[in-house]
Amino acid sequence: MSVQSTARPEWTVVIDPVLQKELEQHIFVTSWPKLLEMVDTIYNWGRRSSLWPLGFGLACCAIEMICSACSRFDISRFGAEVFRGSPRQADVMIVSGTVTKTMMPMIARLYDQMPEPKYVISMGACANGGGPFKEGYNVVSGVDKYLPVDVYIPGCPPSPQALLNGLIALQKKIDGESLADAVWYKPEVERDIPVPVLGPDLIDVRFLEITAEKTAQGLLDKSQAAMPKPLIIPAPQPEKPAVEESSAAPAVVSAADRLRAKMSGAIAPAAAALVSEEAKPAAKPAAPAKKIKKAEARPTLVWLGHEKLKTLSDRLNEKFGAGSSTIIDAGLLVPSEKLREVSKFLKTDSSTRYDYLASLQSVHYQDCIEVNYHLDSTSNPGTVIMLRVRLAEAEGQASVPSVTDIWPGADFQEREVFDMMGVKFTNHPNLTRILMWEGYGYYPLRKDFLEPYYEGPTKVFDSRVEKGHGNHFRAEELNPYGTNMKIPQNFTDWDSLSALDDVKGKNLMPGGVQISELDTDQFVVSMGPQHPSTHGVFRMNLRVDGETVVGLKPVMGYMHRNHEKIGERNTYLMNFPFTDRLDYLTSMGNNFGYALAVEQLMGDDTKVPERAEYIRVIMAELTRVASHMWAIGFFLNDIGAFFTPALYAIEERELILDLFEWASGSRMMCNYFRFGGVAFDLPKGWKERCHRFVYDRLDGKIDELDRFLSANEIMLDRCKGVGALTAEQAIAFSTAGPVLRASGVNYDIRRAAPYSIYDRFDFNVVVGKSGDLYDRYYVRLMEMRESVKILKQAIRDLPEGPILPGKKTYQIKVPAGEAYSRVENPKGELGFYVVSDGSPTAYRYHIRSPSFINLTALETMCVGATVADVVGILGSLDIVLGEVDR
Amino acid sequence: MALGKGILIGHLVTIRRFLLTFTHDFKAGNFLKRRGGGDLPVDFYTRPKNQTTVYQDDKTEGIFTVEYPDERLPVYERLRVLPVLIYDNEDGNVRCTCCNICAKVCPPQCIWMSQAHSPEGKPVTLPEEYYIDMDVCMNCGMCSEYCPFDAIKMDHNFELSNYERHQTHIYSLQDLLVSSEFYAKTHPDAYASVEEVTERGKVSKKKDQRLQKALQLSRG
Repeated sequence: MSVQSTARPEWTVVIDPVLQKELEQHIFVTSWPKLLEMVDTIYNWGRRSSLWPLGFGLACCAIEMICSACSRFDISRFGAEVFRGSPRQADVMIVSGTVTKTMMPMIARLYDQMPEPKYVISMGACANGGGPFKEGYNVVSGVDKYLPVDVYIPGCPPSPQALLNGLIALQKKIDGESLADAVWYKPEVERDIPVPVLGPDLIDVRFLEITAEKTAQGLLDKSQAAMPKPLIIPAPQPEKPAVEESSAAPAVVSAADRLRAKMSGAIAPAAAALVSEEAKPAAKPAAPAKKIKKAEARPTLVWLGHEKLKTLSDRLNEKFGAGSSTIIDAGLLVPSEKLREVSKFLKTDSSTRYDYLASLQSVHYQDCIEVNYHLDSTSNPGTVIMLRVRLAEAEGQASVPSVTDIWPGADFQEREVFDMMGVKFTNHPNLTRILMWEGYGYYPLRKDFLEPYYEGPTKVFDSRVEKGHGNHFRAEELNPYGTNMKIPQNFTDWDSLSALDDVKGKNLMPGGVQISELDTDQFVVSMGPQHPSTHGVFRMNLRVDGETVVGLKPVMGYMHRNHEKIGERNTYLMNFPFTDRLDYLTSMGNNFGYALAVEQLMGDDTKVPERAEYIRVIMAELTRVASHMWAIGFFLNDIGAFFTPALYAIEERELILDLFEWASGSRMMCNYFRFGGVAFDLPKGWKERCHRFVYDRLDGKIDELDRFLSANEIMLDRCKGVGALTAEQAIAFSTAGPVLRASGVNYDIRRAAPYSIYDRFDFNVVVGKSGDLYDRYYVRLMEMRESVKILKQAIRDLPEGPILPGKKTYQIKVPAGEAYSRVENPKGELGFYVVSDGSPTAYRYHIRSPSFINLTALETMCVGATVADVVGILGSLDIVLGEVDR
Repeated sequence: MALGKGILIGHLVTIRRFLLTFTHDFKAGNFLKRRGGGDLPVDFYTRPKNQTTVYQDDKTEGIFTVEYPDERLPVYERLRVLPVLIYDNEDGNVRCTCCNICAKVCPPQCIWMSQAHSPEGKPVTLPEEYYIDMDVCMNCGMCSEYCPFDAIKMDHNFELSNYERHQTHIYSLQDLLVSSEFYAKTHPDAYASVEEVTERGKVSKKKDQRLQKALQLSRG
């Protein structure tokens, strides 16, 4: 019997074999891999469309990352707007900015805590491979030394659009993944990163043995011993009476020799040689050598003046015995044992009242370490003087009495000098390392410290041009460790290294006070360095009793990228783009301060043309508006108005950044100022657009912000009376900018010590009353109005003309001398202290950063407040970590 | 007034902002059609055919988002991303003369270069090798600013994301070269500026002289 086919006719339809194949290939599920592929498509689509980044920012790039999540670029279009504060909820880590050694253990820990599947986007040159700060001693040469990176985004910084481009690249990568070979489902694959250890340097525990071996061999020390060392010059000495004029010529010869020696990298002839040459004058009176020009000696542009300084010095000598004050280059040299008496006198005596310690820094000379103090008086602003104290040069020998009880604002600055130079401040309440960590092997700003990637005393490095024969290399290849590492050869204590040891915060546990309201134990909370409301990689150790803060110690240095050390190798011009990266929200203002410092040394050689002066002021004031917009937006974020005010404020900032990008070429890193002027003239149409923006828009937008926020009851409740700082405290802590003025101190550098052409404009210094959060917010808001006022005048009066005094040149000749410039940056007084030895490179380059010094007052403001208030108080200080840690 | 006035006024500000977003679309005759969407009246899903550039200035109100990658912000001519080296279109000559100034002004020292040599061993005014490590480059634009030969300029391409850096992030001469035509397109104002026109004139004159000399020699 024939079997009748039960198949229905349509089942037996013969399909075109080509179509059949097509169907099998793309439509029919014929095998397990096929099925998996279908699942993969959905699985990957789901994952890539809901990437939750870790709310984690390191440096400048983080600002662009935040911008990409704000009004203009709106990362939520990619499903990635859910920035998670906790790594346990995040699946993509955007490493945005310079990865420092101090921060690296934290980053590894955060990565380990993220659940699988997890991705890493390395954003910006620094995270990719070290970036411009690569040569620094505290910078990791690329986060991929530790983490597996999925997408690299080049650029410095990559614009938000570039970040979105990187995000799309990551989505494409995810689309290509398959469940079948997903490593995170394979139990045998260990993806966790062993947390590196902060010992004498950052040590990767995976290579511990080989590191120990290489350290014992001392390979790096050997190779560096052969390299030319940085020049070290003798400290300036008191001027000889004019009679000895004939001896001046040989001294000049020796100075020129020193310059030549520096160029060839040798150590300068010792001071003794200089003296012996001076001893036999007239031997070669007409030396044909190039004369090193000396800059006019003055501590800063607006200061006490030579005559008054002489009078003051005489008075000090009279009062405290002869020799207690010697004038050297317009600074008073005070013996260290008399420093405290003199300081107390200067602070309290009614004729001087130097109550404001503007800046404190140190210089390493051949014969001494000099610590110098710039003092100003808030009752008589603009009468700056400089005290010098000279101490033993040998490493670890220098010691000076601390002045923290006279000027509490010296606290962090003294710790910084201790950290960088090894100067001990006796009786300092907590003399621990502030930027580096306890146990770090070196004092990095000493001239005899060569970094792991040291290539030469000054730039330009020979290997880049003639002698390199075109062989490019990465700095890692020159270091025996193969990474940015240097360990003292005598270090043997390898067993004691432990990743669990909190070397940064260990010595900064707040003591706190006992309060009896609650019968509970106090405990210490470490807030940061990864915390959404610490404005970067800042950390606070809080001691809390219940919800009340009873003690607080800031821990910083997580973003210390060795700005000053690098700046002492750069030529003067090269430092401009580096200053952009100090306070990366106010790059134009930083440029301004640095330009002024070097122009002060150059004197009349750089007479800034009128047009350039106006352009400078316009840029600085636009910066102020942009920075205050950001500050207000994120302050409101901190007190709970999550992101709506920030989004509104950032719109205006973005429009200002557009103007910057148009004129200078970059949104954030403007690099627009040059010595004696600006880099480029304004493009055609810029002035008109800026005019419209300032005249027609800004006022209205500031009004809107004012209406939106100033009378809001919740805001008033959160801000009034919180974190108050009295005027006396604000001055004592050396706070600056809106923080100082909110406390009722009328002190604005633009008025107190006018620079550039600020004396021509009509504006008011906004002063608050109570010094609480609300006043700080309101001072910023009102300052924007004053800035608009200045802008209107500056744009109206902007003349035509040249923008540079002469031809544009990269060879900058800076006379020998020292200068301290002060500008009123949006965050406060920004100071650049530059010591020049007449060579193309700064001998010492120090930044008085307002964010850093404002933090000195943080503990006082926070004790007694609640944890939620601490966030607001920190927000009201408006710190930027690039400037705090430099 | 009573408690809560501040909050109410604040809400009015946000509502105004919200409404502005739509009024501007309406005024522009777009109804609900938004920038960045497709061509249909209500269309959020299809991609626009062409990338559009969104200009925002002091008049911008309401919606502020630029929907990258479908929309973009305008590229300003001075925008600095990574440096490129320029060769002349007409004859393929690389403008760089290996004078080292770019390497001398480079703040992070990310430029390596060496001079080319003629077969006889004489140095020639051309680069033999030229490298830029873009993991070190800080996009500061100093090299292009101080280059006396208009040979190195800052490119505008920021879409450089990639998955690997060790093989790709050091750009060699070949990677860096772009034509003068391309440069003229991206930097029209600078290209037409007096300085660059005179510089080009000088160079072409020199080339011409050299050509004439060579011709004379060949004619004997």
